[in-house]
Amino acid sequence: MNTIVPAIGFGLVTASILAIAGVGFTLQFGVTNILNLAYGDIMTAAAFVAYLVTSAGFSVWLALVAGAAFGSVFSVLLNRGLYTPFVRRGTRLFGMIIVTIAVSLIVQNGLLALSGARFFSLKMPRPSSVHIAGMVFTTVQLAIIAIAVVAMLLIHLLLRYTKLGKAMRATAADPDLARNCGIATDRVIDLAWAISGALCGLAGVILVMNVTAFTDTTGSEFLIPIVAVAVLGGIGQPYGAMLGALVIGITTEVAAAIFNPEYKDVVAFVILVIVLLARPQGILSEIATRKEVAA
Amino acid sequence: MSVAWQFYISTVLIYLGVDVIAVWGLNLQFGVAGLVNFAFIIFQAAGAYTAAVLTLGPAQPASQGGFQQYVGGAHWPFPLPILAAGLVGGLLAALVSGVTVRRLRSDYEAMVMLVVSLIATSVATNQVGLVNGPNGLALVPKPLATLVNLSPIGYQWFFVGLTAAICVCVYWLVHVVTSSPLGRTLRAVRDNEQAAAALGKNVTGLRMLAFILGGVIAGISGAVLVEFISAWSPGSWLYPETFVYFTAVIVGGSGNNLGVMVGALLVPVAFLEATRFLPQFGPPGLIDALQWIVVGALALIFLWFWPRGVIPERRRRFPAAAQDEMLVGTRE
Repeated sequence: MNTIVPAIGFGLVTASILAIAGVGFTLQFGVTNILNLAYGDIMTAAAFVAYLVTSAGFSVWLALVAGAAFGSVFSVLLNRGLYTPFVRRGTRLFGMIIVTIAVSLIVQNGLLALSGARFFSLKMPRPSSVHIAGMVFTTVQLAIIAIAVVAMLLIHLLLRYTKLGKAMRATAADPDLARNCGIATDRVIDLAWAISGALCGLAGVILVMNVTAFTDTTGSEFLIPIVAVAVLGGIGQPYGAMLGALVIGITTEVAAAIFNPEYKDVVAFVILVIVLLARPQGILSEIATRKEVAA
Repeated sequence: MSVAWQFYISTVLIYLGVDVIAVWGLNLQFGVAGLVNFAFIIFQAAGAYTAAVLTLGPAQPASQGGFQQYVGGAHWPFPLPILAAGLVGGLLAALVSGVTVRRLRSDYEAMVMLVVSLIATSVATNQVGLVNGPNGLALVPKPLATLVNLSPIGYQWFFVGLTAAICVCVYWLVHVVTSSPLGRTLRAVRDNEQAAAALGKNVTGLRMLAFILGGVIAGISGAVLVEFISAWSPGSWLYPETFVYFTAVIVGGSGNNLGVMVGALLVPVAFLEATRFLPQFGPPGLIDALQWIVVGALALIFLWFWPRGVIPERRRRFPAAAQDEMLVGTRE
């Protein structure tokens, strides 16, 4: 028991990072219909931006903002400059996946070429530890959880109560119908890239806040649990992704405490396979059935 | 020609053979049947591993001087390990396609395949008892080496011949599939799933068949590679390698067996070999990183300017049947 309770604490931290990353990923795919496999590498790039900001002597909070801003701008430019032109040229779904993998390789190896395969860590004030109900958190981890809660709340408010959120959900459900109803879908898609890109950048920075060192592959290695979270919640379902993040985050950390930390990803994958076999449309299936996930 | 050059050229030819076999397998899945198998390299790795353990003989415990552990070692004579590799590649493909191809929409399938690839590497590296962990296997005996009794360079050329013979067999297989009514049906499924299903074609079964055949061919290509380099380790079968094959298929001409052969010559061979002759510059790893950037850029450039590749798939026209036109002529 004394290993499991602290593991749940770690799980909450992992779930917070996964929630931000997973909601961004699923929103991106849901609204824009592009499966952006360069997502993990954009996270890494944002982490490097944050590293530059903290190395220049600025605070970690500014680094978070800078990372999110970078993710946002980079994603919008990537879509405008590369993805949309390819879609307009008639590249189909499979082609687009290959385009995003090409971007992923270019970004990752570009970072490798610039960084020279070294390990980096953010310069942060030394955190103190806090005991809550048998779980131990560092102040950094508490901040991560708080950031995730606030971000999820904002996403909820955005999707539920704003016109933009409604337009996004409409575009995700049926882009042609949305356009015919007078929604400026191009602008909605731009904003979807901006918002999901900001989440991506934010996730990249908090991911490296939580680890002692990061390298050019940190973000892309994190892509497995992100995909697991998105699929678990039903692709394109932000609320599903939040729930998926909790499930995957806590189970992987508890499993790591019981078995072997090397198997975190394997546990995430096993959950993924079980869900795909039992409910290919994701756990929140009522809203997901319309997108006919299963063949 | 000096011996060193002969060694180099024969080695490149063998690599070319392996890559050509592999892209034929991938082309069957991606080019002909439209399946996006981002775990392709795993089937190749599984075949390679099978061939390696079936050639190595039973694992020696460490107390008796054994330095590597693995499952199911045996001393099988030459062609059997390669055939077994194809079988294992096919069985693994059957298993994976049973979960993915049968049940999932194609974008999900692509994602799950990518995850399969990443996870398989992680398991192979961490589960030391299975494939000897990150060290992999080494000292796999070369096929027929004791039998033919040639000089090292003679054996190199002998292996080139062996690879070429296997290439011919695999080409015959893919040619039979793609030029037969089966190939036509597979292309129909790729181009218009609903129409093919409406004409009574078993869409899922056909897709699984293409996936399994691709798995068999991937396994064989891996076996040839491992019999040649006589070592195997999980680190050399990562998912970017799959991307190199995808790039080869796209550059060569997706759906065209001869096209993808040219693609294999251009991308994995000419392109990645050419950098050997560049002078070293920058910190270690820089050239590798730049190589990957260029491969990524190459895929983007071809998808933009020549999405049908160097040698495009032949457009098949069937006179005087409008329905057939709809099935096979709508690929744009």
